[in-house]
Amino acid sequence: MIQGSNFAECHPVGFRWVMEAKRRGATVIHVDPRFTRTSAMADLHVPIRAGTDIAFLGGLIRFVIEEGRWFREYVTHYTNAGALLREDLRDPEDLDGLFSGWDPQQGRYELETWQYQGVDEVVPAAGHKELFASGGAGHQDRARGRTISFEHQDPTLQHPRCVFQVLRRHFQRYTPEMVEATCGVPRATFLRVAEAITRNSGRERTTAFAYSVGWTQHSVGVQYIRTAAILQLLLGNIGRPGGGILALRGHASIQGSTDIPTLYNLLPGYIPMPHDQNAASLDDYLHSNEAATAWWSELPKYVVSLLTAWFGPQARREAEFGFGLLPRLTGNHSHLVTVADMADGKLEGYFVMGENPAVGSANAGLQRRALGRLRWLVVRDLVLTETAEFWRQGPEHERGETSPESIDTEVFFFPAAAHTEKDGSFTNTQRLLQWHHKAVEPPGAARSELHFMFHLGRRLKQRYAGSSAARDRAIQALTWDYPTQGPHQDPDAEAVLAEINGYRVADGSPVSGFTELAADGSTACGCWIYAGCRAEGKNQTARRRPAAEQRWVAPEWGWAWPANRRILYNRASADPQGRPWSERKRLVWWDSEQGRWVGHDVPDFLADRAPDYEPPEGAEGLAAISGRAPFIMQADGKGWLYAPSGLLDGPLPTHYEPQESIVPNPLYAQQCNPVRLEWRRPDNPYARACADPRFPLVATTFRLTEHHTAGGMSRWLPWLTELQPAAFCEVSPELAAERGLSHGGWATVSSARGAIELRVLVTRRLRPLSLAGRRVHQIALPWHWGTAGLTRGGSVNDLLPFVADPNVNIPESKLFAAEIQPGRRGTRGPVPDGTGHMDGQGRDLPGAGPPLAQPDQRTSKT
Amino acid sequence: MSGPLSQTDRRGIDPALGALIGEAAGMRLADRPADGVRTTTPRALPVLSEPDPTYYDLPPIKPPVWVWAVPAYFFVGGVAGAASVLSGACQLLAPRRAEGLVRRARQLALAGDVAGSALLVYDLGRPSRFLHMLRVLRPTSPMSVGSWLLAGSGAANTAAVLLGGRPGLAGRLGGAAGLLAAGLGGPLAGYTGVLLAHTVVPLWSAGHRALPPLFVASAAGSAGWALALLAPPGPGRQIARRLAVGGTAAELVLGRAWERTVGRVPRVARPLRAGRAARLWRGSQVLAAGALLGAGLAVLAARRAASRSGRGGSRGSGAVVQGVASALGLLGSLALRWAVFQGGRDSAQDARATFHLQRARSGGAA
Amino acid sequence: MSQKGFFTDTTVCIGCKACEVACKQWNQLPADGYELSALSYDNTRQLGASTWRHVSFMERAAPGGGGAADGLAWLMSSDVCKHCARAGCLEACPTGAIIRTEHDSVYVQPDVCNGCGYCVVSCPFGVIDRREDDGRAWKCTLCYDRLQDGLEPACAKACPTDSIQFGPLDLLRWRARERLAEVQAGGQPQAHLYGADPDRQPGTGGLNAFFLLADRPELYNLPPDPQAPSVHAGASWGSMALAAIGLAGAALGLAAWEAGA
Repeated sequence: MIQGSNFAECHPVGFRWVMEAKRRGATVIHVDPRFTRTSAMADLHVPIRAGTDIAFLGGLIRFVIEEGRWFREYVTHYTNAGALLREDLRDPEDLDGLFSGWDPQQGRYELETWQYQGVDEVVPAAGHKELFASGGAGHQDRARGRTISFEHQDPTLQHPRCVFQVLRRHFQRYTPEMVEATCGVPRATFLRVAEAITRNSGRERTTAFAYSVGWTQHSVGVQYIRTAAILQLLLGNIGRPGGGILALRGHASIQGSTDIPTLYNLLPGYIPMPHDQNAASLDDYLHSNEAATAWWSELPKYVVSLLTAWFGPQARREAEFGFGLLPRLTGNHSHLVTVADMADGKLEGYFVMGENPAVGSANAGLQRRALGRLRWLVVRDLVLTETAEFWRQGPEHERGETSPESIDTEVFFFPAAAHTEKDGSFTNTQRLLQWHHKAVEPPGAARSELHFMFHLGRRLKQRYAGSSAARDRAIQALTWDYPTQGPHQDPDAEAVLAEINGYRVADGSPVSGFTELAADGSTACGCWIYAGCRAEGKNQTARRRPAAEQRWVAPEWGWAWPANRRILYNRASADPQGRPWSERKRLVWWDSEQGRWVGHDVPDFLADRAPDYEPPEGAEGLAAISGRAPFIMQADGKGWLYAPSGLLDGPLPTHYEPQESIVPNPLYAQQCNPVRLEWRRPDNPYARACADPRFPLVATTFRLTEHHTAGGMSRWLPWLTELQPAAFCEVSPELAAERGLSHGGWATVSSARGAIELRVLVTRRLRPLSLAGRRVHQIALPWHWGTAGLTRGGSVNDLLPFVADPNVNIPESKLFAAEIQPGRRGTRGPVPDGTGHMDGQGRDLPGAGPPLAQPDQRTSKT
Repeated sequence: MSGPLSQTDRRGIDPALGALIGEAAGMRLADRPADGVRTTTPRALPVLSEPDPTYYDLPPIKPPVWVWAVPAYFFVGGVAGAASVLSGACQLLAPRRAEGLVRRARQLALAGDVAGSALLVYDLGRPSRFLHMLRVLRPTSPMSVGSWLLAGSGAANTAAVLLGGRPGLAGRLGGAAGLLAAGLGGPLAGYTGVLLAHTVVPLWSAGHRALPPLFVASAAGSAGWALALLAPPGPGRQIARRLAVGGTAAELVLGRAWERTVGRVPRVARPLRAGRAARLWRGSQVLAAGALLGAGLAVLAARRAASRSGRGGSRGSGAVVQGVASALGLLGSLALRWAVFQGGRDSAQDARATFHLQRARSGGAA
Repeated sequence: MSQKGFFTDTTVCIGCKACEVACKQWNQLPADGYELSALSYDNTRQLGASTWRHVSFMERAAPGGGGAADGLAWLMSSDVCKHCARAGCLEACPTGAIIRTEHDSVYVQPDVCNGCGYCVVSCPFGVIDRREDDGRAWKCTLCYDRLQDGLEPACAKACPTDSIQFGPLDLLRWRARERLAEVQAGGQPQAHLYGADPDRQPGTGGLNAFFLLADRPELYNLPPDPQAPSVHAGASWGSMALAAIGLAGAALGLAAWEAGA
C-alpha cells in the first residue's frame, strides 16, 4: 500500500524491491491524487482528493473494526487497546471537532484529560516529551510515569472507556459513504482496497504501508502517520516481516540528518534538546525526559555518554559532564519561524548548506525577501543556486520590485564537494548506514561539509581561546581533535564515525553496542542508536557482502541502527508465548532451551527476557518490561492505538481540512487542525477557509524522477535537464476544456501568494473527482524550477503559504488553493484581498485556532 | 565553476577535470550557443483506445538524411549508364553509321560518371573519406555494389573516351573499355532502384520489384533525349530518338505498374496522392507524355518537311519541337527521380505507412 | 565468445530514464537540447545519433480494462539498438565501418564511417542516425568498451528494476519465456515477446536486444513485422537484371535496326 508517496518516481532505486515483491505475487495499491509512474506499476490506483488521507485511513480503521477483521490476539496483547481512559476525556464526536482540554487563551490543548485512567503521565517514546516538564503535582520521584501499571485494563476490550471502544466510536462516522463524500473515492473502490489489505493481514500474511512527504507535508501531517500506525497495529502488521510503515526519505541520508539531527529540538539519537524551562540542571533535564519504565529509562546513560564525547575532560560528574554548556531552547526555532523572523529583520546571519530555500521552501518569495534582510549569508552548494544568486536573480528582480542595489546582504559562496569526492556514510530509508569512499579529490576550492565544519570549528576555538565570557565556554570546552589527512587537512571521517560509535574513556576501545554505555562518564558516545556501527574497531557500515553469500535478512550489508536490527519491534513477529505467528512469517522467536530470543534478525528485545516474565509490582527501568511487551521504547511496552501524550493536536487522528480547502469539513464544524501554526502576515496571505471563489482548484505539488528537489543537483546537468526541460503543470482534459488551456501551451497559475507561468501538460492521469455530486478539479505542479540553471521556469513554492503542523513544524506544502488561466499573464507576488482572509476566519470554532499572529521564537512554548 | 562549463559543453564534462575517452568522445559537436527551452507544436492527446495506434505519430524509422544531390545523382547516373549501353550497342552493331553517337554517348556517360561521383561525395557526411567506399565490396549493400559500378564505369568510360577511335592497340583497348562500360551501364542505371528498394522506407521497399525497371526505363529515356540533342545529326540521332521514345514509353507504363504495386497499401502510396511528391510524380508523367507528343510532332514535322522538300523553314521547326521534346523528356525523368525520392522521404515520416505495410505483409500478426 | 544481448522487460520499466543518463554519461554523449515535447514524459522522443537509449511513455486504456481502477495504463519502455541477427545497417554499410563483434553485437567503427547515410534508411527500427555536425553515423555499441573489461553495459547496470537485463542470449531467452508465462498468468494475456524468437521475426533473424511488451508494438513505436531490407535482394536485383538486359537488348536492337537500314 503506497499512499502519500510517488515511490517509483522519487525513490526509483528502492522501488526495485516493490517490483521484486510484485513479481513474487504482492498486490500493489497506490492511493494518490495523480496517476503517476508509481500508479502505472500498481495493481490498483485510487485517485483521492489531496489532504483527505486521514478520512480514507480512518474509513479503513472503521472497516477493520466493524467488520471484525482486526488481529485479536495481537491487538489484545501488544497494543494499548485495553487501557482505560479518564472519564473526562471528550472526543471530537462530542465537541464537534475538538478534543477536551482546549485552552482558548493559549490556543492549545491541556493534555490532562487525554491520559490513561489512574496514570498521572506517560512519557512517549517519541514526540513532545517535555509537555509535562513545567512542573506541577506528582513529581516527587526522579523519573516520571512511575504509576503506570496494568490495573486499569479491560482485556475483553468491552469497557466503554477502554482505548478500543473510544477508538471505535471516534471513527464510527468514517463510513465508506463518508469516505466517498470526503475523498472522492467511490465506495466500491474503497471496499476493494479494504478487502485487499485485510485479506492480506493476519497470522500468515502481512501488509506494508509506504509513505513520504505526501503524508508529512500537511498541517495535520503527524496524525496522517498515526492513522496508518493505528491501522497497522489493528491488523498486526508492525514488527513483522513484510509489514510496517515505511517512511521513504527523499534525499540521500536525510534519515541520517534526523538521527544525528539538523533539527533544532533534538540531540543525536532522538534525545530532546534542553529547554530553558526544564533544564536548569542535568537532573532537572533528565527528570523531564526519561521514563521510569522501559527503554527510555536508560536515557541518562546516553545523555552522559554524549556529553562525554563532546566535552571530554570537562565532562566530570561535578560539572554535570558539561551539561551546562549546551544551548537551551527558548521556544520554536524551526525553519519557518526563523525565516519569518529573518524577514522581520531579527536575524543577522544564516548558513545554507545543501539546501535551496529560494526555490525549495514554502512561500519562496517570502524566503527570498527574508534573505535580503540578512547582513550575511553563507551558501555551500555544488552550483550557484537561486539561494546564492537571490541578490541578483529572481521573479522580484524581473518585475522590477527589487534590484541588486536594494539588497545589502553579503553572500559568501563555498563550493561543495560531491559525494564521490569525500568519505562518509549515508543513512537511508530503512535506517541502514552505508559507507562511501572518496573516489577523487574535489576540484578547485570545493571541500566536504566535514572539512568546512571542522575548520570553522577550529577557527572559532582559536578565536575564542582567550575569552573569559561565559557564552564562549562551550566552544572552548568542545573536543575538536579529529586527525586530518591529505593536502587540504581533511578530517578523517572514520574518526568521526568512531566517536559516533562510542568508546571507553579509559582505553579508547570501541563499544560494541549501546548496552555497554554508562552514566558515569566512563563511556563516550556521539549517538547512542549508532553504537556498534564500528564495533570491534571495524567499519561495519562498509560491509558489502553480496546477498547470495548470506542469509536473507542480509545482516552483513552495511549496518542498521539500532544494533544492526533490520526490523524494529520484531518481538511482535512472535506470539505472546514466543512462537512465530506462522512458519511463513518467522523472524525471531523464543528458544526455551537456550533461554534466549533467537531468529533471522537481531531480536529487538531483552535477549533473555522470557515470554512469561511479568514485572513485579513497582518495577522500574528495564525490569518493568513484560515478556509480552514488544514495544520496549514505550513506557508501557505497548503499541499505541491511542497516544495519551507526545502529540499536541490530539490523542487520536481526526480529519481536518487543509488550511486552503475547497470544501467545508464534512465531518466536523471545526474546519482545520485547531493547533496548526499560522503566519498571518501581509506577505503570507491565505485563501479563504474553503471555497474561495478566486481559487477554486486543489493544487498539489510533486517531484519528477529526472530532477532532484530544488534542482541544485539536476538543473545544471545537461543530461538531466534535457529529460525534463521545462516547468509545467498537469491538468485533466476536462479542466483544460473548461479553462481553454492548450496542451503544450502556456498557463498562469495563481494563489493568494502570487502567480507563476508554466507550460501545460494535459493528461488523463489527472481526473476530476466527484464529492457528493460536486465536481472537483485538481492540478499538479512539479516544483523543481527557478531562475538559475540550464533551463528556467516558475517556482511552485512561490505559490505556497507558511502554515505548518504543530508537532513537527512541517509546512503544508502538498496542497493549496489555486486558479489556472490560459496564456502568460505575468508573475506576481502576494496580494491580500483586503477582506480579512489573512486570519483563520472560518477555519475554527469560536475560541479555537491559533491565537497568535505567528509562532514566536521567544515566547511560544512548544 | 558550473555555469560556463554547462553552457558550452553539452556533455557537461569539464575537460580539465574529466578525460574524454568514451565511445562518443570523438563526436564532433557544432559550436552553437547554449540551448534555451524550445517548444514543439503541441499535439492533441492520443485517443486512449485508438485501434490504429502510433507513437504520437513519430516515425518508427529514420527518414533519409540524403539531400538533393542524391536524386540528382540518380538522374545523371542513369543517363551515364544508359548512354554507356547505347554506345556499346552501337559500337558493336553500327560502328560506322553511328560513330558520332558512340563518341558522344561515351562522353556523355563519362560526364555523368564524373558528375555523379561528385554529387555522391558532396552528400557524404565525411566527404574526405570518399575512398572508403572502395574499402570493401559488400554484395548485400547496393550502395557498395553501386560504388564499384560507378567507379568501374568511370574508369571504363575514361579509357573509352581517351583511347576510343585511336589507331592500333590503344583503339582496341578503348573499344574494349567501351564495351566494358556498356556492360556496367545497365546495372549502373538500375542499381539505384535496387538501392532505394533495399531500404525500410515504405514507398521504396513496397515496390521493390517494380522500382529498378522503372529507373532503367527512365534512364534509357533520359539518355535518349540527351543524345537526341547531342549526337551529330544522322542515324545516330535517330537511334537516340528511338531509345528516348521507347524508354519514356516504358517509363510511363512501368510507372503506372509501380504506382499500382505501392498502392496496394493505400497509406504507403499516400505521398503520391497529395503534396509535393504527388505534384512531382504527376508532373513527371505529364512531362513524359509531353515529350512523347513532342517527339511525335517532330516526326510528323519531319515527314511533312520531307514531303515538301525544297522549302526549308519547317525543318527548323522540327528541330525546335525535337529540342522541346528532349527537354520535356529529361525534365520528366528528373522529376520522376525527385518524386520517388521525395515521396519516400514523406512515407518514412508517416508512422502509419510503415505500420500498415508491415501489418499487410504479416497479415496482422505481431 | 558467446552471444550477448539485452532482454528488456517493459512490464517492470518505471520510466526513470536512468538508462538514458547512464548511457550518455558512460559514452560521453552530448545532450540533444532542452525541448519540452508535451508527449507525456517523453522529451527524448526517439533514438538518434547521440541518444542510444530512449524511454517511451504512452498513456493508454489498460487492455482488457485490468490494472488500474480507472482503466488507464501508462506504458513505459526503454528502447535501444536491437543488434539484429540480420542487421540491416551492417548489410547496407558500403565501407565496412559497421562490423559484427565477438559478442555478436553490431558496432560502428567511427574511424571508418564516411557518413554515406545508407544505414540510416536500412535500419527497420530507426536506431542508427547520422549526426549532421559530426557527419558520421552513430548508435549503441552495446558498451563494447565495458564488455572488454568484463562489465555489463551502463544502461543495464543502472536499471533499478532489472527491466534491462544483460547477458548471454540463451539465458536471456529462457528468462524471457519464464517471465512471459508469469505475466500472462498474472492477467495480461496480450503480453508477448518481441524479437526473441528468430522464427517469429524472420525479417531480422531475431534480435539480440529483445523485449517483453504489454501491448501492441506500435504503442512502443516498434514496427510490427520488421525486415532487414536485403530480404528483397533476389527480387529487386532480379528485376533490375531483367531490365538491364531489356535495355541492352533494346539498344542492340536499335543499333541493328539502324545498321540494317
